[in-house]
This record gives sequence, structure tokens and C-alpha cells, in this order.
Amino acid sequence: MDIKSTGSRKKLRSKLSIYNDVVVGHVFAAPFILGFVCFSLIPIWMSLFYSFTDYSLGKKEAIFVGLKNFAMLYNDEIFAKSIYITLKYVLISVPLKLIFALFVAVILTRKSRMVAIYRSVYYLPSLIGGSVAVALVWRQLFARKGLFNVILEGIGMDRINWFGDEKMALYPLIFMAIWQFGSSMIIFAAGLKEIPMTYYQAAAIEGANGAKKFFYITLPYLSPIILYNLVMQTISAFLTFTQVFVITGGGPNNGTMLYALNVYNQAFKYDKMGYACAMSWVMLILMTLITLVIFKSSRFWVIDDSEA
Amino acid sequence: MKKKTLCFLLAFAMVTASLTGCGNQSKNEAAPTDKTDDKADGSQEEVSMGEPVTLRIAWWGSQERHDKTVAAIELYESLNPNVNFEYEYYSFDDYFTKLKTLVASDEVWDVFQLGGNFPQYMDKIYPLDEFIKSGVVDVTGISDANLKTTQTTEGVQLGLTNGINTYGIAYDPVLFEEAGAKLPTDNWTWDDYKEAADLITEKLDIFGSSTFQTSDFIAGCSTYIGQQGGLGQYGFYNLDLTGMGFDDPQMLTPYIRMRADMIKKGSYPDAGASAEVTNIENDFLVTGEAAMTWVAVNQFPTIYDVCKGQGRTLALATIPKVTPDGNSGAQIQSSQMFCVSQDSEHKEAAAKFIGWFESDVECNNILQAERGIPANEDVRAALSAEATEGQQIMYDYVDMVSKLPTPKEIQVLTPSGHDQVVDNYLNYIQQVVSGEITAEMAAMKTYADAEEIFK
Amino acid sequence: MAEKKIFRKILYHTYVVLTGFIMIYPVLWMISGSFKDNSEILRGTLSLFPSVVKKGNYATGWKGFGGITFATFFMNSLVVASISTLGTVISSSLVAYSFSRIRFMGRKFWFTCMIATMMLPSQVIMIPQYLIYYRLHLVPGYVPLILPCFCGQAFFIYQMMQFMQGIPRELDEVAKIDGCSKYGIYSRIILPLLKPAVVTTVIIQFYWTWDDYMGPLLYLSRPQSYTASIAIKLFADSGSSTDFGAMLAMSTLSLVPVFLIFLFFNKHLVEGIGTTGLKG
Repeated sequence: MDIKSTGSRKKLRSKLSIYNDVVVGHVFAAPFILGFVCFSLIPIWMSLFYSFTDYSLGKKEAIFVGLKNFAMLYNDEIFAKSIYITLKYVLISVPLKLIFALFVAVILTRKSRMVAIYRSVYYLPSLIGGSVAVALVWRQLFARKGLFNVILEGIGMDRINWFGDEKMALYPLIFMAIWQFGSSMIIFAAGLKEIPMTYYQAAAIEGANGAKKFFYITLPYLSPIILYNLVMQTISAFLTFTQVFVITGGGPNNGTMLYALNVYNQAFKYDKMGYACAMSWVMLILMTLITLVIFKSSRFWVIDDSEA
Repeated sequence: MKKKTLCFLLAFAMVTASLTGCGNQSKNEAAPTDKTDDKADGSQEEVSMGEPVTLRIAWWGSQERHDKTVAAIELYESLNPNVNFEYEYYSFDDYFTKLKTLVASDEVWDVFQLGGNFPQYMDKIYPLDEFIKSGVVDVTGISDANLKTTQTTEGVQLGLTNGINTYGIAYDPVLFEEAGAKLPTDNWTWDDYKEAADLITEKLDIFGSSTFQTSDFIAGCSTYIGQQGGLGQYGFYNLDLTGMGFDDPQMLTPYIRMRADMIKKGSYPDAGASAEVTNIENDFLVTGEAAMTWVAVNQFPTIYDVCKGQGRTLALATIPKVTPDGNSGAQIQSSQMFCVSQDSEHKEAAAKFIGWFESDVECNNILQAERGIPANEDVRAALSAEATEGQQIMYDYVDMVSKLPTPKEIQVLTPSGHDQVVDNYLNYIQQVVSGEITAEMAAMKTYADAEEIFK
Repeated sequence: MAEKKIFRKILYHTYVVLTGFIMIYPVLWMISGSFKDNSEILRGTLSLFPSVVKKGNYATGWKGFGGITFATFFMNSLVVASISTLGTVISSSLVAYSFSRIRFMGRKFWFTCMIATMMLPSQVIMIPQYLIYYRLHLVPGYVPLILPCFCGQAFFIYQMMQFMQGIPRELDEVAKIDGCSKYGIYSRIILPLLKPAVVTTVIIQFYWTWDDYMGPLLYLSRPQSYTASIAIKLFADSGSSTDFGAMLAMSTLSLVPVFLIFLFFNKHLVEGIGTTGLKG
């Protein structure tokens, strides 16, 4: 592996196929490709197949029913409602979460010994936020006599019946999503460190104020990272399950029936695996479209110098 | 371009190959299961000869139940050295998630616990009849009525009940008196119930009545329908579980209207409040925020003891009726049962254990009726001799209910898809409260949902 | 002027600390709950100080179920989470490297597949996946929990790709001129510089596998093999009584390893990336 052998190795490289880019690429990607084919593609394929059958977990054989499941979706009020609720959840929680994450990341760029500790504290919720215990605590906080209502009463407002009112019940879940801004924050923080100080110094000389610096330097420079966080958070928001499963169970009156919970109920509680599969395929297509729109639109707002 | 096509073809071939592989396997797999059935039938003698047997068993429950059941299993192992157990235990929801995956892969535990939803798992249950006939399972101490709780309508013995159970209304008499409400009687009606609840809320500013889980469905559909007409004339589902047990959806309406009205008045918890009741120990009756609640009676001793600790004494009343001299609608049913699975290779050994578990006094002394009142008379007699106050009220109540006139045939089972009917029904009540739909429409919708199951 | 600066500093820290307190209030509530009596927890008081300190929760919780203590459950979790984390780091970094640094045919295709795997709800592919493992005779056992981690996790692959974009390509070029193959570039240049991403992966993946309960629920059978996440759920049975005190006590304990890992690696979490590459 020393430098003397470089010449002969160069010749070798062109001959030996393991140095060919296509091969190298596949060698490195092999773990994913193998895993994908064995443990994702086949299950995905099977779920597509099930979506055309009346398969249920208790039954042995599945009968082919054609497009019946998809036709049923069209008339299913709860399905329509769950899509509406999920979209509402995603559209409110993701932007707020990202704004908050960016805001905190900017605040915590100060040079201070305390910053590392602060960051850990802010990061913690996003790490443990998916756990059942935390979800239980959350339910307690928004209970009729919970912390939030105590505060509301304290400042002279009426109590809110968070989980009793169909229109309010989604907000504790949205709060919880925003509360878990930590992982996005860490990635923003990493990105912020990357911005060369010289940019800011140059801007300062030209007399730019804080806001101007933020909008003309920070935001454009961070745009690839914003794209990344946006995609990841959108996908994970669409799939939110544990929180809603533990906190509201979809109620009241399906007011928090997020789509992943709906799928779970159909598959496991109501024994309609085929229907659940059809449901996830419709949603998969919807999510793919939304992700595609995000990716395509990124052309107009992401400044990326690494892409040639 | 060519390369690209090749790549796709390759990927596709891989997928198809693995998929067909899967398909074949599933066919191959079905065959051995059938074989094991035959084998198990033929090899009954081997088991009783004392050959080492390993039985897989599973149940759901709380820490208390796990500890007690494991202790009982260990007792059985010491009495039958050739039998070895591999036990699993879960919380309720997890149990059924797990069971469903095991059904999908034909490896259901040898002995498993089921509740009233067992028709969904009918294919996986191996009936006990042959073992009862051959004397492996002794049911002499169990009355026919109690045996019936775990039979199909054709009389096939699916399992043995772990405990019989019935519903009742637990209440705090002191709160009733404080509000000046009439105390429940054996012949009280839903009107009396509502009147008392509303009065309590008005006077004491607490819920008149609390709720527990899906009790509104059991009360408003299963029970309320059975209380109307002649004895055994109506049921929510019909006896064979092939269709509805009543024709007029509007029979559901009065209950829905009453319930919605009580929620509006605040004498019954709304969706938000009832979501806070996660288990019987934090029911509003126990926390002092309600004067009565719906219970499955095996839960009564627990809350009785908790309230005793607070210096309150609870009482247990029958479920209200439609008319004072009408049907009680009360049913003695199995809280849960142990069954032998079709997938088991040691069906006889499994059945023998179930027989012992239900009828052995020593075993039940360990279990302490935690799953419900023992169906076996001898066991019950032995246990009630040392019963606590709360347990004694429970035993007396069950004795009283079992003496009420009940129809010859009752339907306490639920078909596959039933959970969705329940969930929707509870949502319809909320929609009536918010004025989205009328009580009549809620009744129609519930009827339509339930009918859909049988299409 | 100096006074104003100090005042602003105090204001800043107070603000950050207060927000931080709100952020971790639920966690603190859980910890204090582990010292509360069951009835006090059920009453839903929000105070962080138990009215009567009850230490017994830890003892009753630790006792476990049917003679199996939480020592067993925690040990099982530790084994599964450690191996899974190791596998995830190795496989995800390999795959991320190929996707972000090698221009090979099929790259876009596989990348799209990877994004797609993140979008399908796990609830629908759970059962088919189970059947596959079952037919491979890997159920019950730990393999189905661990094996997928050695196949790269989409979330981390994407995250590492993101970090790799911050590593200047000039480094690759220099190494290439020095005669390094792609394999060499990966192991000598990219991997060492990837430290912050690796640290994030370790922290997050460790916690995810530590906390995951659907997987262990499906793939494990004997209570001796249960992980702590399932065991904690065993306390909460909706049909009967729940010992919330014991449950919160064990939940608190189960945060300890996660927290230790977090503390240990935290230093490298954000620091690393700024000092990477040429600027370092």
C-alpha cells in the first residue's frame, strides 16, 4: 500500500473490476441492497398483493377482491377524516418545529461553556420523546386538571377540555411534535458551525444588521440542511404513531385519527389487513408526491455548491 | 441503456424468485400442520405414559396475575415432573397483537387465554369435548350453566372458563344520600339511574356516573336490547352469530339519547374525561369524582379495598332495567378461558393442565379468583370461606344474579369486526352530543355498521 | 457598557435555562413520579416533589414478573441495543459513502428505494416481515431484531450522506492522486471525519433499539428473553390494576444507560463537524 507501488496499482485498477465505479458503488451499497430486497421489497410486494385481497390476520387464505378495497376507501368517512387530520398535523407541526429548531440553534451558537449543556437539555426530549412513559406524562399535562389548564386558570382564562374537544385534541400532539425539535436543532447547529466567519465579517463591514445577515448569509447557506430536515421531519410526521396511540387513541370522535393509527386499527384491531394495505398504498403515493414536490421545488430555493 | 435494463431485469428476477419461494413455502407449511393434528390425536397414550412434555402457555394481565399464575404453574410442574412449561405473559393489547402474528404463522401456544372475542380465533381452538369424555378433564364440579359460558351454540366445549363474571354498578351510598338521590334497588330503571346521576351532579358538582372503557356499548347495545321484549326475544347479534338479533334500529335510540343528554349535562364524563380513566383504580368513583360506575364484578374487590382505605364503603347494584318488571338483561359469562390450540402437539397434556387449573383447590388458593369467580363449586366454596369483605359482596352478587331468570340461550360472543362497531358507536354518541347527528341517526348508523359484518 | 453586557448575559441565560426547564419538565415529572405513591400519580398532581417519598417503587419494580427480575430484562436490552448500534454504524456509513461519493449506475435508483423504505408505515410490512423471518426459522430469537441493522438504516444513511456533503471533495481528490482506492478513501479519510455523524447515530440508534417494543414483542417469546421495553409495558394492563409507581421507576432506570451514552458522546456531537476537513 506504499507509494512506490502506485504505478503498477493504477494499471491493475483499470483491469481489476473491483475498482470499477459501478462495482465499488454496489459493494459499498451491498448491505442496503441485500437488506432492501430481503426485508423491505418482499414485504412491500406482499402488502401490495394483500391490498387486492380480503386478507385478515386470523384467516389462512386471502381471496382476491380486485379493486374493492380501494373503492371502499373512497366511501370511508374515517379514512377521509384521517387524511385531513394527518395533513393538518404535518402542515402545522413540521414548519413550526423547524423554525423553532433553527431559532434555538442560532441562539445556542454563542461561545459559552454552558452552551453544550443547554444543547443536551434541549436535545433530550427528541431522543426520548417516542417512549411510552413520556407519552403518559404528556397525557397527564393536558388532562382536565393538568398543568396547562392550571396555567390557563392562573392567568384568568377558561380551562380547555383538550382531549374532550374534537377541534382541540390535535394540538397537544402538535405541541409534543414541536417539543421534540432537538434532532433538527443539532443538525442545524452543525450546519451553522460550517458557515465561514469571514462571510459575516464582510457583511458587518458593509453595515448589514443581524436580520440581514440571517436572511442573506445564514439561510442560503443552510438551505441544503433545511431541505434535509424538511424531508425527514415531513416523513416522520406522516408516520407518527406511538404518541397518538398512547395519548388519545385517535379520539375524541376520530379527531386525532392520524393515518398510521388508522392503518394499525384496520390491520390489528378490526382484522382487515387487506384494507389496511390498500390504505397504506394510497398514502404512500400521496407521501411520494409530497416528497417529490419538496425535492423538485428545492431547485429554486436550495443553494448547493457541492452538486455539480 | 442496455445495462440499465439488465439491472432492472436482474432486480425483478430476484424479487420474483424470492416471492415465489415464499408462496411455495406457505403451501408446504400448511401441510405439516394438518399432519401434526393427526399425530396428536393418535399419540394421546404416549403423553399419559409420562414422556417429557413441554407446553407453551400464554396469558394477559397485570403483575399480580403474572406472579400468581407462574406460581400455579410451578406447583403443577412439581406435581407432574414430566411436564415442563414455557410461559409468556403480556398486557392485554400486546397479547392480541402477538396472538395474531402467531395465528399467521401457525404456532399458537399450546394453552392460551381468550375472552368473549374468541369466534375470531375459532380455527385455532381445539375443543375439549373428547378429553371431557375420556376423563382427562374433570368437569363434575362445574355447573352446566357455567360450562355453557364457554360453549358454542352447538354445545362444543371450546375451553374452560378461568372465572365467571357479570356486570354491575358500583356506587357510593354516602354520596347518593348527600345529594338526596334515591338509592339503587334491584328493580331500578334507566330513568331512575339518570335521575339520580343528574341530581348528584346538580347538588355535588361531580359526575353522577362514571364510565369504564367500552361499557357504553355493553350497556347500551348488548344489555339494553336484551332487556326489551320477552325473555330472550332480542339480542344485539343473533344466537348463531350470523346476523342481527333485533330488527328495529330505533330500539337503540333511547339509550343513546339518555347518554348524550347526560354528557351534555355533565353527569357523565365526556370523551376527554373518560380518556383519563385508564384502568379501574383511577376510575372517577375511586377518586371521588363520581358517585357510581360500571364494573365487571371481578374488579369490585380491588376498588372496594382502595375506597376502604379512604374511609368509604362501596356497594354493588344490579344494572338498571328498561321497566321495573322487565328483563334484567344480566348474564353470567366467562371473563376469560383457557383453550387448547390446534397447533399444539401435546393437546391432551394441555387439556389436562386446563382441567387442573380450573378445579384444583390448592391451585386456586394461589390464584385467589383474580381472573373472576371460579366456576367450580368446590373451589368457590373453599375460597369464599376466607373471602375479604369486597370479595364476599362479589360472591353474593354473582349468586344473586345467577338466580335471576335468564333466557335459555344467550349470546355473549362477538364476531370478527365487532371492535369497529364499538368504536364507531362510541363516536356516534359524541356526534349526538355535539349536535352533528340525531340519536335516531346514531342508532341507524350503528345498526348498519353491525349488519355490515355479516355481508 | 459593561453593566449592560452583563445584564444581557444574565437575561440570556435565564431565558435559556427557563425554556430548558420547560423542555425537560416531563422527564423530571417521570423521575419524581417514581418516588410517588400510586394514588398520588393517579390524582395527576403536577408537583415535582412527592408528598410522601416512597422508595419501594424501585424494589417492587425491580422484582419483575414471575421470578424474572429487571436485571435480566436490562441485560437483554443492552445486548440487543449494543449489537444493533454497532451494525447500524458500520453498514450505514458504508452505504452512505457509496450514495454520496461514488457516481455509479443505479445510484439514483437505490437512493430512491431507500427514501421509499422510510415512507411505508411499519404496521403493514410488519406481518410479511414476520412471516419471512419465521420461514427462515429465526423466530423466536434476537436475529430479526439485529439483522436489519446490519443492512443499513435509511434514516442514518441519509443523515450520514448529509454530513459527508460537508467533507470537502478536495480531500478525496488528494487521496486519489496519492493512489488511494475508494476503499482506502472510505476507511482513511471519510470514516475518521464522520465522527460527529457516527456519534449521533450511536446515540439515536441505541435509544431507538433500547426503546423499541413492537419488534421485541413480535420476535421474542420467553419472558427470560424479554427486553426492558416490553417488561415496562407489562406493568400497564388496561383491564386490571396498573402499578404506575413501579412502571415510572423502571422507566427512569431504563433512561440511565441512554443518558450515560448521551453524556459520554455528547461532547463530540456538534463539535466534530466544525473541525473537519481542510479547516481542521
